[in-house]
Amino acid sequence: MIPQLVTVRVKPRTGRRVRVWVPVLPVLLILSPVLVLAVAVATVACLVYRIRVFPALGSGWRIVSALPGTRFDLEYAHTAVLVSIR
Amino acid sequence: MSEQRKEILEMLAEGKITADEADRLIAALESDRPVPAVPAPAPRPNGKPRYLRVVVDANDHDGPSRVNIRVPLQLLRAGVRLAALIPPEALGKANAELAKSGVPFDLTQLKPEQLEELVEHLDEMTVEVDQADAKVRIFSE
Repeated sequence: MIPQLVTVRVKPRTGRRVRVWVPVLPVLLILSPVLVLAVAVATVACLVYRIRVFPALGSGWRIVSALPGTRFDLEYAHTAVLVSIR
Repeated sequence: MSEQRKEILEMLAEGKITADEADRLIAALESDRPVPAVPAPAPRPNGKPRYLRVVVDANDHDGPSRVNIRVPLQLLRAGVRLAALIPPEALGKANAELAKSGVPFDLTQLKPEQLEELVEHLDEMTVEVDQADAKVRIFSE
């Protein structure tokens, strides 16, 4: 299953905390024309570099599908950044 | 089925004990002998681990810093499959660059099956580095 929600939280040393929730599916729908273009470019790149197109696209899809559960939580010098993919 | 027998079968199903150990335990139960000790497995809530965790705690002049990364093992497997698609010419160039940097490593000898096996066995791996100002832990959960 593709990611549903990406949460980005930034806590700077000073100033306001920023918390952003990105619903992936609606964003993908909005960007679908760009996605089609990106797939076409990827296909051409695969052909140029002699990489098998369908296995490459399949692997790319598997990577996207495996993203849910990924979490990056960084804190440095009183600044914190969290990226969570669900 | 007795409660103890059920527990043994559940432990076998979860892979906590081997079939031989389960057999021994059931035989001990039936003959009413004291139960032989079974090595206690590491507590793991859902059996096979699903994530690779990297935790770094450090203290430097700017104050404490912490890195906490959780990556699904499935993502590593997908990456390994993608790496398997790298054309041999690119691997040859990478080998040449590695050799130039003093790392005589032949990437063409690295098979996808070996990499997948490596990912499969990551659940048994724990890396801990303890230093005065930093602590690094890599493990799966």
